[in-house]
Amino acid sequence: MIKFNKRLLVVWVVLASLTLSYLWIDHSSQDQAGSLRASAVVTSGVIVIALIKVRIIFREFMEVRRAPALLCRLTDAWVILIAVGLLGSYFTGMAIR
Amino acid sequence: MFETLVFTAYFGFYLFYRARSPELFLHAQAQLDLRIGVFNTLVLLLSSWSVARCVQSARAGAYRPALKDALLTAFFGLVFMCSKVFEWARQIRMGNGFATNEFFTYYYFLTGIHFVHLLIGFVVLGVVVYQLRSPARRSQELVETCATYWHTVDFLWVLIFALLYVVR
Repeated sequence: MIKFNKRLLVVWVVLASLTLSYLWIDHSSQDQAGSLRASAVVTSGVIVIALIKVRIIFREFMEVRRAPALLCRLTDAWVILIAVGLLGSYFTGMAIR
Repeated sequence: MFETLVFTAYFGFYLFYRARSPELFLHAQAQLDLRIGVFNTLVLLLSSWSVARCVQSARAGAYRPALKDALLTAFFGLVFMCSKVFEWARQIRMGNGFATNEFFTYYYFLTGIHFVHLLIGFVVLGVVVYQLRSPARRSQELVETCATYWHTVDFLWVLIFALLYVVR
């Protein structure tokens, strides 16, 4: 019988909590009439939280933390590349509106 | 990795056009139910957790629990799939089709491509089950490769969910 892996449970709870934090972000970013408002701060925060979740999935579920250092660095570089790509596209769109 | 870069390009286009017409996107986005998105994300995260357990059990030689976890992963995938179809049907009933506006074009395009990847994920899980069922076939490397594909489907959804449902 294989021992229950508590670490994976904790990882899921952290990922689920970060997902549920979006409900709070959504609630606090609405105006008094309950309508949605454009916000660069909310957009940036949401993208950063999503990428933190992606990095956790890489390191814990995909077991990259136990992989050679090069693979760890490559996946971190990938996350940073995605962050630059997404935030760059958003702010470029805003700038040339 | 190439696949995820293609997705990132789609995400980039979406954010670029979204930033240029925030009112249109916000108005259309308000038609989505964030709670369904949260539910789908939690379900897919559960599937990633169970496939991670499947890999660890297979590595330890506990093939029965590994098989159980692979089937559990497929079950969570199926729940996600049904929920997605329900959400699409709901949006279509509300009059929000592929060509309704730019936001919904991106919505159906991104969730549709992800859905295709999910369907491929079921084939991949089938390979895991096939591997685990017979002692003659059990390849840990193949099980781990298949699990990695399933995690990719999961983290792509994590990004799609954030961009379509929560970004402002």
